[in-house]
Amino acid sequence: MTQRKYTKEKKVGEGTYAVVYLGKTEKSRQIAIKEIKTGLFKDGLDMSAIREVKYLQELRHENVIELIDVFSNDGNLNLVLEFLPADLEVLIKDQSIIFKPGDIKSWLLMTLRGIHHCHRNFIIHRDLKPNNLLISPDGYLKIADFGLARSLGNANEDLSSNVVTRWYRSPELLFGAKHYDTAVDIWSIGIIFAELMLRTPYLPGQDDINQLDVTFRALGTPTEANWPNVTALPLYNAINVYAPPSRQELRNRFSAATEKALDLLIAMTVLDPSKRCNSTQALMDDFFTESPPPTRPENLPSKNTNKKQKTE
Amino acid sequence: MVVIEDDRSKDMCPICRTDRYLSPNMTFLINPECYHKICESCVDRIFSLGPAPCPYPNCGKILRKNRFKKQVFDDITIEREVDIRKRVTGIYNKTEDDFNDLKQYNEYLENIENIVFNLSNNIDSEETEKNLVEYENEHKLEILEKNMRESEKNADLVKYQEDMAKLKQEKLKLQQKMEQEDIEFQKQQKQDLLDKLSHSSGNSEDIIAQANKKMLKRSSARKRQLQQLNGQLEKQFGSGGTGVVEESGNMTPFTPFKGDRDLEKRYTLLSISDNFDMDKSDGKHTYYDPFVNNLAKNKEYLAGGWRLENVFERALDEAFMGLECFIDKEKLTV
Repeated sequence: MTQRKYTKEKKVGEGTYAVVYLGKTEKSRQIAIKEIKTGLFKDGLDMSAIREVKYLQELRHENVIELIDVFSNDGNLNLVLEFLPADLEVLIKDQSIIFKPGDIKSWLLMTLRGIHHCHRNFIIHRDLKPNNLLISPDGYLKIADFGLARSLGNANEDLSSNVVTRWYRSPELLFGAKHYDTAVDIWSIGIIFAELMLRTPYLPGQDDINQLDVTFRALGTPTEANWPNVTALPLYNAINVYAPPSRQELRNRFSAATEKALDLLIAMTVLDPSKRCNSTQALMDDFFTESPPPTRPENLPSKNTNKKQKTE
Repeated sequence: MVVIEDDRSKDMCPICRTDRYLSPNMTFLINPECYHKICESCVDRIFSLGPAPCPYPNCGKILRKNRFKKQVFDDITIEREVDIRKRVTGIYNKTEDDFNDLKQYNEYLENIENIVFNLSNNIDSEETEKNLVEYENEHKLEILEKNMRESEKNADLVKYQEDMAKLKQEKLKLQQKMEQEDIEFQKQQKQDLLDKLSHSSGNSEDIIAQANKKMLKRSSARKRQLQQLNGQLEKQFGSGGTGVVEESGNMTPFTPFKGDRDLEKRYTLLSISDNFDMDKSDGKHTYYDPFVNNLAKNKEYLAGGWRLENVFERALDEAFMGLECFIDKEKLTV
């Protein structure tokens, strides 16, 4: 039954634990089918596949990837996902595309709306990066890859601190905190915001130790004064003490940012997670109501419009 | 990772080893003699006292400060070719209109390309250079005349830039004038106030309040005036992005959450006492859970962003979540 409902058309990618095919539904809607390899692992299904199914089933929002269906055949687990042809990383790297202030605002807004929906349902994504922010054919940004996501559990439960891709990892995670919350996602979005403005990774650490150094070089070393109890974290160290950046230094680094944009960036990258803004505060920030308005999704730059312009 | 390493070294001055991360304002300059990259402060330091040899090892070409310029292209060979091309087309500056037929014009262009190619690839460069200088000397007047004609054609652009500069100046002047007036006005007001205070027998506080009110009124009127004038000026010069205005004309109002938000919670959270211990006298106005409250004393929890109120808030949210949701009904609408 289910096999006939969807068609697999061509293979588009293969990862360590899944193969991705393009396909269509009965109503000829384009979809992506993620076939999870089973039997490869002694201890059953890969953890990230389970997480992906578990959390995407719960979420439905225009800025979160849609899990259309799950089925199994030949002992394989198949996830039927919405077809999203592009991601933000590709756009950031393509130097021929020019980002207007309204475009950056629109992407940031859609990311925050998507993560607000996750946080409202007490799910932390834990792997936000431009590569995981996919773009639909009509320009909508959707948060994808919930392979590291988890919901907040018991109050005393330990969470792993080895999550989030290094460049987007918040300082509490770098210090090995085991009791963090949704603020880790806000940090990642702040760093993505910076990357959208700079068009190059903001804090590119070469390894975990270097990441601490790069982070604090840019944003100052945390102390008990600006982050109470920080010294109690397992991996806390302050070998190099850097002063927090002055507003003028930030202005120089983000020369195209308005004052409101800087305010929001600073609020999202506060070192102390309890002082960092949450998704509600970020969405209500004046930055989004300041001119220019966020670009409408269908008018956002994309790979395709760029090619069209060239051939015309 | 290798790519990043390269980026780092590209952003470092090889002479003084300043890197861009720490001083984002630094700029690199090159000299068309040898095209070696040197940061601006090194150029100031080494070449301010007159011509000096290039500080790169094994180069030693004598460079002058006034020839240093910003590098436009990443690739030095391209930068050099563009420089040469600029110079050659500055000398061979005839346009198609100057020729009787297309063939002649194409030959002329071919000749330019040959010169540029020879100079940038060091083929017979000495002889080509000599010919170029000879041609320049012979046709000096002609070249100048052509330049004049070309600049006339481009006058529109220049005029636009001039207009923009004028607009800025105008604005600045206006602002300065108004500020000056404000200062004088304030002085006078103060004097008036003093006079009034010393001559009248009325309540001094009333008089001061009145004066303050007057000042406030005036300053807000001033602001409005300034805005109006600015608007007029911009209209007069026909600048400002008209495209943006058009788009905002028919927009729906901005909603940050698009409806995805609980505006009213179904509960009110009691305040949480700061010492986290059971305060027996005030037990009614707070909630005490010995296990969870004890966690709030753990510094490691607190440093990671863990907060007692978040735990309680989540428990309550989860308790009320899904009330009045009827899955069967929702399935019908989807």
